Amino acid sequence: MEFKDIQELVKLINKSNLSEFIMQDGDFKLTVRTKNYIKGKMKAMEPQVVPVPQPQVVPVSHVPAPVPVQPQAAAPVPQAPKTSAKDAPVKSEETDDTANYLEVKSPIVGTFYRSPSPDKPVYAKVGDTVSKGDVVCIVEAMKLFNEIESEVSGKIVKVMTEDASPVEYDQVLFLVDPKG
Amino acid sequence: MDTRFNTLFIGKVLLEYDRLDSTNSQAERLLKERKLADGTAILAYDQFSGRGQMGNSWFSESYTNLTTSIILYPKIDFPKQQFYLNQAIALGVRDCIAYWLEDVWVKWPNDIYVGGKKIAGILIQNSIQRRQIGHSIVGVGINVNQGEFPEGIGQPTSVYLENGKNVLDIKVVLACLCSCIEKWYMKLKQGKYDEIESVYHQFLYMKGIPRKYQLASGDVFQGEIERVLPDGRLEMSTHNGLQTFMFKEISMI
Repeated sequence: MEFKDIQELVKLINKSNLSEFIMQDGDFKLTVRTKNYIKGKMKAMEPQVVPVPQPQVVPVSHVPAPVPVQPQAAAPVPQAPKTSAKDAPVKSEETDDTANYLEVKSPIVGTFYRSPSPDKPVYAKVGDTVSKGDVVCIVEAMKLFNEIESEVSGKIVKVMTEDASPVEYDQVLFLVDPKG
Repeated sequence: MDTRFNTLFIGKVLLEYDRLDSTNSQAERLLKERKLADGTAILAYDQFSGRGQMGNSWFSESYTNLTTSIILYPKIDFPKQQFYLNQAIALGVRDCIAYWLEDVWVKWPNDIYVGGKKIAGILIQNSIQRRQIGHSIVGVGINVNQGEFPEGIGQPTSVYLENGKNVLDIKVVLACLCSCIEKWYMKLKQGKYDEIESVYHQFLYMKGIPRKYQLASGDVFQGEIERVLPDGRLEMSTHNGLQTFMFKEISMI
């Protein structure tokens, strides 16, 4: 499974009402928990392991709630209502709740630079708060220096690309926590 | 030619400075404070910390050369058409120098050469907002009246050295530059990409001439420039057939 596929999958899961998604494909296992996920309630339930040979055929976007594929899950899924999850967010879950992070992506194929020149400080580092419109990096392409302004506001939680390394179109450059 | 700016908008607003770290940096600072008119030119007679390619500097002797930045708001399809901006500006700078000199070429992607020597450099900074170019800061450095160059910085030359040691007024060169850039920038705005591309190739340095090139790995090979692709990559014919290169993957030796 490519990183891109995972990104796509996370997006689909986010759009759905799913609280938890687990897939296994050979040795590869992926668990995604959304903000609907509530620790205590879900623990009581056996996580569903859905074997998925082809990630792109996962019909997540078409189902409003998890489809029970095993008999013991035929009982109503104890899904946390969306509103209550919003009203009372589980703080302790936020640290591993990467699905809620926003992404700053490269709009172009080129070379990623974190600072305007090697002797200058970086535009943005982990822990920095960025606002929409702040320059977060440069992506250089054929000697055109494109200063990328963040389209999101929040705290930088991860720099996904090494300084001075090549980046692809739509490659994720930064993860931003909008609640930071 | 005189110092009047015979243009529609480029250079109509001229911000002159006796001394600046870099005209591009000044443009950045000003743009943070306020909106600058389309075509605003920033001129420094003494630029003490000029910027070149990432990490490189642009050395310019005080009061002898032209160092300027022009602010533009090109509404082009980004990133698909961004290399046409590079081509249009390069052709404008080339035309300006060709007003005084012959044998003026654009070395891929956007250096200006006279004969085999570098005479001008371009550094374009785009601000990308919501996947569109907000503003472009077009930095141009032209060696105008410099008579000597320190050793070890390539093989630069100046208009002065190539033009029978005639000293030119920097503002005359700037007026010419603004007018030449405007001509090509208007073509860009009008979507005349075919013309820009075709003339860019007409003046592409070393196009179709077999010579030695060096890869970033250090390997040397014999190749020939075929063309520059719409996204700016260089297409070369080599013993392995056609190959394409990004900037910095390859250099002429």
